[in-house]
Amino acid sequence: MEIVLLRGAAGLYLGATIAALVGIAVRKDFPTRLFHWLVGAGLALHVASLGIRSVLVGHLPVANFGEGLSLLAALLVGVFLVVQRRGPLIALGAVVMPLAFGITLSASVLKGGAQPLPAMLQSIWLPIHVLLALLGDAVFAIACSASVLYLIQERRLKARRGRGVLKGLPSLERLDQVSYSALKWGLILLTLGILTGIVWAHEAWERGDWLADPKLLFSVLVWAMYTVLLQGRMTAGWRGRWAAQLTIAGFAVIIVSLVSVNVFRLGAHGGAF
Amino acid sequence: MSHGIVLVGLSHHTAPVEVRERIAFANGRLEPALKMLVNRPGVEEGVIVSTCNRVEVVACGSDPDVIAGELPAFLADTHTVPAADLTGQLYTHRDREAVRHLFRVASSLDSMVVGEPQVLGQLKEQYAVAAAVGASGRILHRCFHKSFSVAKRIRSETGIAERAVSVGSAAVELACDIFDRFDDKTALLLGAGVMGELTARQLLAKGTDTLMVANRTFERAADVARELGGIAVPFERVGRMLHLADLVVCAAGGDVLVHAAQIEEAMRERRGRPMLLIDLAVPRAIEPAVSELDGVYLFDIDDLDGVIAENRGVRAGEAGRAEAIVDAEVEGFWHWLEGLDVVPTIVALRDKFERIRQREVARHLASLGDLEPREREVVERLTRAIVNKVLHHPVTALRRHRMGQGETRYIEAARSLFHLEGDDPADEEE
Repeated sequence: MEIVLLRGAAGLYLGATIAALVGIAVRKDFPTRLFHWLVGAGLALHVASLGIRSVLVGHLPVANFGEGLSLLAALLVGVFLVVQRRGPLIALGAVVMPLAFGITLSASVLKGGAQPLPAMLQSIWLPIHVLLALLGDAVFAIACSASVLYLIQERRLKARRGRGVLKGLPSLERLDQVSYSALKWGLILLTLGILTGIVWAHEAWERGDWLADPKLLFSVLVWAMYTVLLQGRMTAGWRGRWAAQLTIAGFAVIIVSLVSVNVFRLGAHGGAF
Repeated sequence: MSHGIVLVGLSHHTAPVEVRERIAFANGRLEPALKMLVNRPGVEEGVIVSTCNRVEVVACGSDPDVIAGELPAFLADTHTVPAADLTGQLYTHRDREAVRHLFRVASSLDSMVVGEPQVLGQLKEQYAVAAAVGASGRILHRCFHKSFSVAKRIRSETGIAERAVSVGSAAVELACDIFDRFDDKTALLLGAGVMGELTARQLLAKGTDTLMVANRTFERAADVARELGGIAVPFERVGRMLHLADLVVCAAGGDVLVHAAQIEEAMRERRGRPMLLIDLAVPRAIEPAVSELDGVYLFDIDDLDGVIAENRGVRAGEAGRAEAIVDAEVEGFWHWLEGLDVVPTIVALRDKFERIRQREVARHLASLGDLEPREREVVERLTRAIVNKVLHHPVTALRRHRMGQGETRYIEAARSLFHLEGDDPADEEE
């Protein structure tokens, strides 16, 4: 049942992607309304799927890679909706929703049956650490998507061309703001994610073991990159193309970290985010 | 009984501004002029449309020829302009063409800038004046309201109004791609010529917070700044103010005024906040190399023309679709107007036959003497059946031709054959 709901959500995300692409090109009301409807319905199915899974396994369903991906995608769509409070950003949806679709689809494919939670993970820290870490990843995904759009829009303006088919792209200023505030929130969440991870590991493992965990090393790298970027933005006035490129590079490291840790089963996170 | 609509006027297509301004109706003069209009021979309803690009009089009545002769004289008389001065500049549209013209004007298909939104508002205001003084009646009421809904439909169903097609609006379109809000932005106008001023006006209309104006002659800068609500700055100090400007519009020709090194310096002071530079001058007054700087976006007049041409192309395609909508709506309106004629004709025809039937029945029943109620009933039914059978085909033909294309011959024939215009009861005695 929850797999069916999850696939339904993935399908609606795909539909939303198409509606967003049409919306950019024609800038009419209808695709925008359809887009929001599809995103909302997709998220509803997705949350229902997560809820059923939680009840089935009796805890936050993040025990394997598939479950983690599903939660990540739901958080991504949720954060995307929050970003839209200040006016619709259908163009951002055209980048975020295919990402959400891809992650949700992978989750529905990878998701194994419910397994008992390993004793090591049975802790109050599990939901706290995982939610903070995944929410941080979702927020960085938004920052990265806004930066991708920024580079597209900036390239067009530098080429001194008219809007062509890119009618619905937001202004550079708006995209920069979205990326900047996502960067700030993402960094806060990532910091808390790392700290809770350390506290948890400190409690659960032998002292010192966790220092060499590949996931932690990746996370610290991402944290360092984004801290430098935030520092640059706040004090040296970094913005524009350079800031956008750095934001995308940071997110690329996050993706490498997610995939390699789970595929090659590196360290304590291996196979389970 | 039939209705004709006549539109007489002139516009930017046919007459220069010197002529248009002479016969324009100023706001206060519209009401008295409308009252004079409906007192003209043949004019039953009238509306006057007067904008800076056109002056048009729409009137309707039963004899279009009389109206078409009256309207030019009306325009000449109300402005004490010799009628001869207007010949050759006035156009006259009748019936369907008049309705089509009005629909096209309302949808701004006839405007200087196709797709501009102002004309519809002006039309609504001036129609409201005509309605208030009672100059417009049932037919023009419907005609104008239809023109508003046609304009609305075209606006929502075609992309005619979507794209910028003037230098000023193209500049605003570009600014909107860079900036999200304008109430915290400063614009600098270099060179207070007409084109620069127009562009600055558009930026202010978008909500730009502060406008700085610089010109080689300071007095001119001060004049423009006063008019637009900006600040005049001395021309030689512009270099030191560049970093304050988010938008720079350069319309001062001559030599290069803004150098890449200056902008580079300004960008440092701005800590990378983006800058939009628009160079309207020919030869160009902003060094092209500035566009290589990060966060600096430079557009010259050719780039703007490129944006405008792209948008014009989009609009031209959309205009074709808009014309198709106009055609369909004109037919719809005309169908309604013709229906106004055919319905009374049918009613008159039936009335006439019914009166004849009743009179003849009464006369012959009297000579038949006493009849049973049942026999009277038969006579009534018999005569009614004959009348209905006789009228069946003419009425169907009239109804059918109401659907046809502008067919009024049947209505006229029916009125003439059955003498429906005459009120002389003696006719019916024969």
